[in-house]
Amino acid sequence: MFDLSALGIGGGSIAMFGMLLALLITGMPLAFVTILVALIFALGWFGPMAVPIVTTRIYSFITQYVFLSVPMFVLMASVLDRSGIARDLFDAMKLVAGRIRGGVGVQTLIVSVILAAMSGIIGGEIVLLGLLALPQMLRLGYDKHLAIGIVCAGGALGTMIPPSIVLIIYGLSANVSIGELFTASFVPGAMLAAMYAGYVMIRAYINPAMAPVPLEEEKLPLAEKLKLLKGLILPMIVVVFVLGSIYAGIASVTEASAIGVFGVVLSTIVRGEFTMKLLVDSAIQTLRTCGMIVWIGVGATALIGVYNLMGGIEFIRELLTGVSDEPIVVLLFMMLILAVLGMFLDWVGIALLAIPIFAPIVSSLGYDLIWFGVLFSLNMQISFLSPPFGPAAFYLKSVAPPEISLGSIFRSLLPFIGLQALALGIVIAFPSIALWYR
Amino acid sequence: MAEATKIPEEPERVEQKDVPQDGLSRLIQPFGIVFSVMFLLITAFTLWEVLMRYVFNAPTFWVHETTTAMTALCFAFGGVYCLGTDRHIRVVLLYEAVSPAARRFLDIAISIVGMLACALMSWAAFTLAEKALYAPGGTFRVETSGSAWNPPTPAIVKTFLFLMLCLMTVQFALQAIGHMRRKPTDELHHGGSEHGALDV
Repeated sequence: MFDLSALGIGGGSIAMFGMLLALLITGMPLAFVTILVALIFALGWFGPMAVPIVTTRIYSFITQYVFLSVPMFVLMASVLDRSGIARDLFDAMKLVAGRIRGGVGVQTLIVSVILAAMSGIIGGEIVLLGLLALPQMLRLGYDKHLAIGIVCAGGALGTMIPPSIVLIIYGLSANVSIGELFTASFVPGAMLAAMYAGYVMIRAYINPAMAPVPLEEEKLPLAEKLKLLKGLILPMIVVVFVLGSIYAGIASVTEASAIGVFGVVLSTIVRGEFTMKLLVDSAIQTLRTCGMIVWIGVGATALIGVYNLMGGIEFIRELLTGVSDEPIVVLLFMMLILAVLGMFLDWVGIALLAIPIFAPIVSSLGYDLIWFGVLFSLNMQISFLSPPFGPAAFYLKSVAPPEISLGSIFRSLLPFIGLQALALGIVIAFPSIALWYR
Repeated sequence: MAEATKIPEEPERVEQKDVPQDGLSRLIQPFGIVFSVMFLLITAFTLWEVLMRYVFNAPTFWVHETTTAMTALCFAFGGVYCLGTDRHIRVVLLYEAVSPAARRFLDIAISIVGMLACALMSWAAFTLAEKALYAPGGTFRVETSGSAWNPPTPAIVKTFLFLMLCLMTVQFALQAIGHMRRKPTDELHHGGSEHGALDV
């Protein structure tokens, strides 16, 4: 058998990274690329006796109790996306933000925060907002770029506002409390949303033509208003219950996710929208999403397990801490690596591949892993919007009017990416924004 | 603006279609419903536990292990389902830039390498499953969780994981043959996972 360990850890790391890159670029699914590379190195570096270590890791990976919350939060989001709750929410928020300048933009952002609190999936949320809010803003004569930016940036908030799948996967990878991550990310998430809203209002104030106010107040009869509110009471209670039970430490994250599914399904029944088809479609989407996430995880756990045995994590630690004696420089360098990875890989892969390597380094630098989780989540926000692969742009493209090109979507997102980078900088400079609850 | 852009009044949500990529996947796809319903059961069981624990103060002994094992089964099957419908996340930087002929070549290569990866992994998982089903001496016994309830969930999950990896090996093999037989210009039904996680 070929002996890869002759390469030494430096050469081995380069060979591994090169192999990953070469296979990935062909278009081979990430999950199988990592599985293959993990096994090649397990066999080539250690020999057949290392293989059980890989499989045992995979087994314990897929049988983690906290992992149950992922399908349930996905299910909750899928049911929510298929109900009319978002539409009613959007209409109801008109009453709140109706006539101020930039009002519909702010309204969209408020709706996206509330939706984010019910679902942790950005794809569905951007599609929803793209269907609901974008046509309305365009019809009013909003500046196209501003409207697109609001929808994408607002939809991407799903990962910052708990419950968020990104934070759950980060928690699993870094081995920290997911409940605590949820608590920590709430304020930075709200801060980011407020920054977006502030930006929209300032732009609208400087150039009123960008965000016209509806000329005639659409008079909604009181009965209609009440009907709207009635349909929203239950979903609101769901949010309060799910987040409340996690924050108060009553229910575990997994239990809270089950309560969330129950609440959202109950809401659709009360609203008269429930059908068997809705439930089955949502469940199929759950299977698809989980199959995707989990198998990337399977490959990543195998790869990280092997790399760790090779002494790779120690090697990366020395490399990174060698960058500078100042911990903050090392941290910023890690953020840069995550941002670059974010341009080409999706967050699932990054969370599962890079975080197990980074987490021990972050700890040894004396930084808090919960805080780092918030930074990671903010960083991944940027990757959702940034070209060439920012998924947010592609989600929106799939539902936007055909004249709106991908290029123009990315151009619209630039100022919002700037705001995200600013928020990331602020949370790095003031960790207490994330660790406010301590 | 409103005239220039056609804005649909009542946009409809379109369900994504799952297109099976090979013969075996066509047979497997209907099982997706079974495992999807399993997710609903997992939710129901967890709710039952919440109800029993917090309302009746009588936590169940079976929910934790049952739901964890069921989720693991769903996760394992999810990989097969995603492979069968081309939902796994991939980077398509090069793939989308090349000619149809080169793309067909890439498809063949990806499927063959994928098959090798899954075959290796099946082999690795075989040892795992074997140990869960047979004692070191070779007598049949089922590995149990070792809790007070002591269900045989580890044996079930490990065996299932091995079987799913075998299925994926065959799926990749069939897809490789399919790509070898097709013309470069044939239309492909990718599962829409081209630009990252569509549902995440």
